[in-house]
Amino acid sequence: MRIIVQKAKCQGHARCAAQAPDIFKLDDEGYILPGDIEVAEGEELPASRGARSCPERALELDRTPAARVE
Amino acid sequence: MATNPVPDHVPPEMVRDFSLFTSPGMPPTPNGDPHAAVACVHDGPPIFYSRYNTQDGRGTWVITRAADQRKVLQDAETFSSHRSIFSSILGENWPTIPLELDPPAHGVFRSLLNPLLSPKRVLALEPAVRERAVELIERIAASGTSCDAMKDFAFPFAVSTFLRFLGLPDDRLDTFVGWGKDLLHGDDKERPVAARTIVAFIDELAAMRRQEAVDDFMTFIVQAQVEGRRLTDTQVRGIGVLVFVAGLDTVAAAIGFDLAYLARNLKDQQLLRSEPDRIPLATEELLRAYPPIQLIRVATKDIDFEGAPIRRGDYVSCATMIANRDPAEFECPNTIDLEREDNRHAAFGYGPHRCLGSHLARREIVVGLEEWLARIPAFRIKPGTAPITSGGHVFGIENLILDWS
Repeated sequence: MRIIVQKAKCQGHARCAAQAPDIFKLDDEGYILPGDIEVAEGEELPASRGARSCPERALELDRTPAARVE
Repeated sequence: MATNPVPDHVPPEMVRDFSLFTSPGMPPTPNGDPHAAVACVHDGPPIFYSRYNTQDGRGTWVITRAADQRKVLQDAETFSSHRSIFSSILGENWPTIPLELDPPAHGVFRSLLNPLLSPKRVLALEPAVRERAVELIERIAASGTSCDAMKDFAFPFAVSTFLRFLGLPDDRLDTFVGWGKDLLHGDDKERPVAARTIVAFIDELAAMRRQEAVDDFMTFIVQAQVEGRRLTDTQVRGIGVLVFVAGLDTVAAAIGFDLAYLARNLKDQQLLRSEPDRIPLATEELLRAYPPIQLIRVATKDIDFEGAPIRRGDYVSCATMIANRDPAEFECPNTIDLEREDNRHAAFGYGPHRCLGSHLARREIVVGLEEWLARIPAFRIKPGTAPITSGGHVFGIENLILDWS
């Protein structure tokens, strides 16, 4: 599973990091670091919770098989 | 009151008799529930026009759906937040910063201030916040079985946390709270007086910190450089005033509404007391249910927005308490469910102007509830008393007499 990060939409609510601080890393201003996030096996639940917590809808879950293989 | 003419471009059928200032439940009301009172707009159209919906008596479009508020607030180019909300009280025209700057200028100042209130920084502030909460609550617990939770806890806790952040001493706390009250809830005579007093205070503080540096917020601001230049006096003032005013009222109001809810819902109160690990999640639900703020934007161009013919210069209201009761966004929005998951509420707004103090505010509420519930046994509203609530620009609760005898 992969999380597509739309960095430009991030406004620093930091809800994702509150859900899963090891998956969603923030910069010194409290905004998400750029780049999509590859989710390790077994971390799907906190990752999808974190993605779903974004008030701006900046995080998108990608569950396509291609994303899983990568 | 609601006598403003409807602008020619607003179709008469889009005008509704609704106002955050004058509708039922909005003026000061004993035992009121202003957040539930505004939820009734969801029985009507998703967007409508209100003829009287700002503190200075102007008409606004009212955006009720969370998804539409997100669109408006994320698009700062079309929906500007520059309306000199503070300086216009003085008949002047300078922006509070960063709130009333639009991108790209906004981003520069936001980047300057973000690290001061980031989640990491707030974590470092937490021990002092907790200490202050414990100190106040222990004093209350030692002095009897009843208190005014606003006067004795919510206000001194929220405001002193904030004064400490600014680097100001506690001893003028009551004075500052008084200024805030006059500014946010005062009449046409009190508001300019309060605004002038606050400006003079911030200007004087800035001058003092320029003369002698201290390790505090205002020193940081007067020494800061943006694009290679020190900030102008007006910029320093714009930041100082915003940060000062933003911390005076909002967190105290939120804590007050939360404690009032728990006082009336003993089961939930007992659940959080016996399982304090639930408090952070519950706080999100209470933020959804009882946010105090209405956000207003000004259209920078003509735009037909979801069927509303919005024209340049129109005011557009995104009331967080309305978005947070949107049935399209939240299942059973009027049910307060402290275990609610997937709670992407709008209490701190959306878009680039997301509340800069949100991480501190959140921690204050969590810490305040944790320490309160750990030290005060089952409490309820003292019989024979009634909390007075109000709507308006910032929703508020004046008094909250709790009893645990």
